[in-house]
Amino acid sequence: MTTTAQRPSADDPRVLLDQQLGVFEPVPPYPPRTEREAEFYSLGDGEMFINMGPQHPSTHGVLRVVLKLNGEEVVDLDPVLGYLHRGVEKLCENADYHQVISQVDPLEYVSSLFCEWSPVMAFEKLLDVEVPRRAEYIRVLAAELNRIASHSLFMGWMALDLGGLTPILWSFIERDEIVEMLASLTGQRMLFNYFRIGGVNGDLNHEFMSRLGDWMTRATEQIEANLALLNENEIFVRRMRGLGVLDRETALRMCVTGPNLRATGVPFDIRRAHPYSIYPELDFDIPTRSEGDCLARYLLRMDEIRQSLRIIDQCLNRMPDGPVMAKLPRLLRPRPGRAYAGIEGPRGQYATYAISDGTDQPFRMRIHDPSFIHLQCVGLLTPGNLVADTMAIMASLDPIMGGVDK
Amino acid sequence: MTVLARTWHRLTIPGRLILGLLILGGLLTALLAVLVIFSDDILTILGNNLPIVRFVVAATVVLLITVPTAFLIIYMEMKVIALMNLRVGPDRVGPFGSLLSVVHGLKVLMKEDFTPTGADAPVFTWAPVVVYLASVMTLLVIPFAPGLFGQDMNIALLYFFAMGGLTVVGLLMAGWSSFNKYSLLGGLRSAAQVISYEIPLTLSVVGLLLLAGTMSLNQMVLNQAGWFTDWYVFRQPLGALIFLIAATAEANRTPFDLTEADSEIVAGFATEYSGMRFGFFFFAEYVNVFVISALTVTLFFGGWNAPFPFPAIHLALDPAQLGIALLILIAIVPVLGTLIFAAPFWIATTMASWQALVLGFIVFNLVAVAAVLGWAFVSIEWVAGLLWFMLKTYVFVFLFVWMRGTLPRVRIDQLMGFAWKWLLPASLLNLFVTAAAIVVVDALGGR
Repeated sequence: MTTTAQRPSADDPRVLLDQQLGVFEPVPPYPPRTEREAEFYSLGDGEMFINMGPQHPSTHGVLRVVLKLNGEEVVDLDPVLGYLHRGVEKLCENADYHQVISQVDPLEYVSSLFCEWSPVMAFEKLLDVEVPRRAEYIRVLAAELNRIASHSLFMGWMALDLGGLTPILWSFIERDEIVEMLASLTGQRMLFNYFRIGGVNGDLNHEFMSRLGDWMTRATEQIEANLALLNENEIFVRRMRGLGVLDRETALRMCVTGPNLRATGVPFDIRRAHPYSIYPELDFDIPTRSEGDCLARYLLRMDEIRQSLRIIDQCLNRMPDGPVMAKLPRLLRPRPGRAYAGIEGPRGQYATYAISDGTDQPFRMRIHDPSFIHLQCVGLLTPGNLVADTMAIMASLDPIMGGVDK
Repeated sequence: MTVLARTWHRLTIPGRLILGLLILGGLLTALLAVLVIFSDDILTILGNNLPIVRFVVAATVVLLITVPTAFLIIYMEMKVIALMNLRVGPDRVGPFGSLLSVVHGLKVLMKEDFTPTGADAPVFTWAPVVVYLASVMTLLVIPFAPGLFGQDMNIALLYFFAMGGLTVVGLLMAGWSSFNKYSLLGGLRSAAQVISYEIPLTLSVVGLLLLAGTMSLNQMVLNQAGWFTDWYVFRQPLGALIFLIAATAEANRTPFDLTEADSEIVAGFATEYSGMRFGFFFFAEYVNVFVISALTVTLFFGGWNAPFPFPAIHLALDPAQLGIALLILIAIVPVLGTLIFAAPFWIATTMASWQALVLGFIVFNLVAVAAVLGWAFVSIEWVAGLLWFMLKTYVFVFLFVWMRGTLPRVRIDQLMGFAWKWLLPASLLNLFVTAAAIVVVDALGGR
């Protein structure tokens, strides 16, 4: 760079020693590394930066977003990631195949079962294992429960980000009941660590079944009651309708998947598009909406809760007998090769691409996380809207920072 | 000095206590003597400046009652919202957690009072004072009961709006001086919001002024005496609705609490405040809730009037007529009452006699207190008035708490659009219809 003397780099340790930065100095933008940064960190007339996060109340974890504001209007924004980075992929490459499951668990901590499911499926493909049918049914049952928990949490967060206090506590009732239920099945409330290569960790037990039976008798009724809090609320609907419209082409270009894609009218659901597990045998619909705005994304998730309830019902009715674990050696050494497995999670496509070199550890493991993809849409959707809408848009895309930062 | 200090240290604790009391007594005696000597002059001066004295006393009393009011409303909000959220809410400190807000107040007092580097310290310090005083001063003109009000101004309503408008100055000061962009956004939001909503708020009561023909809140309450159908809400339903909505925005309550929207701009103007300075903002918010509820009741819901003309009961019993019998009654009634109320416990349960007596004594006291209160309610005008006023006011406080528990927040452009596109035309319509109706009724010779 020719103009080196413009600003000291924040990465330069001497900055803090040599030069006392004045308190009126904005957070020093380090010398721009890209053109985009140079463009972003130059203020126009009447604009200001505001630093949102990583300790902001509604950035869903430790996301930091630098907003460039013109009054209340967001002109541009720059998400700063990495506050939750653990290097999960590298950790997985240094763990054996069983340990991988506990490493990927905390990725998206509100839907851990889906984070486990895709690597487990990829490893099963590498090993050519056939999973017992009962195990598959249990997996679908537990995963759909987890999907409902995740979506009802989404509903609460959405309302909280729009200033409603009550819905989050109401939705937590459902979520808590499901989480307790899964805890009695798996032993953990949040990071279940339940799926195993070739099956699941334990069979259905009495406590789980009785809790599930109790809950299923009133689930539909209660969820509809919770939804009535928001769906008929004029303020809520007016704020959400027509906000952050993601059109079909942009969504496809940005690789958006899951509810966010289906809210734009594309009926793409991996459970139907690339069937896996026992989903081909089950009868459920893929809800879609054509508006692509925040309200559509919200309502679509609520529709998905109803479909998940249908799936759970069918799983319970058709649950076969048999083992829940395939016969496998203690130490897994798959043949050299590569395998890909993608599943439909509550946020979209969770996928794993694993390469084996014949040892007991994956040679390379790539985790595809929908939150990271969806968070990129915030930059497309937000400019031109108000500060308050940033939260609404971000909440409606439903990213989880654990998955974004990996 | 050292001699005095040494003497003090030689004293035992009771000695110190007695000495302290002696000194205190001496000082008080001296003060009393001064007061007695100059009593005539003091009384003359006070008598000559009665309005000022009245104002000072009223302002002090109003300032003092805001604190328990705020505590009560904070507790009410915590508990009511908790029940709406299907939680238990505060239940640790005091009966049903009712002292929690007091403990919160103490906690706030003990916290560090922090001024950020770069803040405009004097403005930063004075902002909470302005906000709090503005909301306290509005209480001065509210008629709580017949004869129980701070000041009876003939421009009380104007004074109210003027003082209410001062709040925004404090919020702007806080937002500007905090040296924080979130605070700045909050301050500017509050300026835009409060100024926009002042207009429909003021216009919504103009129709009422035409009807009442006065700006004195006392006179307005007197106008609404009688059955509840005489309340102005039935003659100004649109005005009452607009007033309620605009007052919600004026007090920065949900769904118009954009100035401190916690999910958007952290805490708005209060982001950088801590300790008692934040406490002032916090208290002011709840005092505001009380004030707007009280004003709504005063203007539209009959103030301290009962919803129906209360039958005047004159107790035939005049204590002065009883003479010596009064003394006998005073001696006999407690004993007899205790015995009478203890009897059922003693007969029906297996209690020891002293336990039954203690219980009987407690029950007798409760009954006596209830009887005295009932007597006061019936025969003392302002007790009944205060009771009705507080009852109605807390119904509206509950309404505001309910809205907070239920509604999400509106967006700033929707907020402004609502004020200018809906509330302002509606309040103008209300004004014109009222004026036309008055003209027509006058022409027909009604009224």
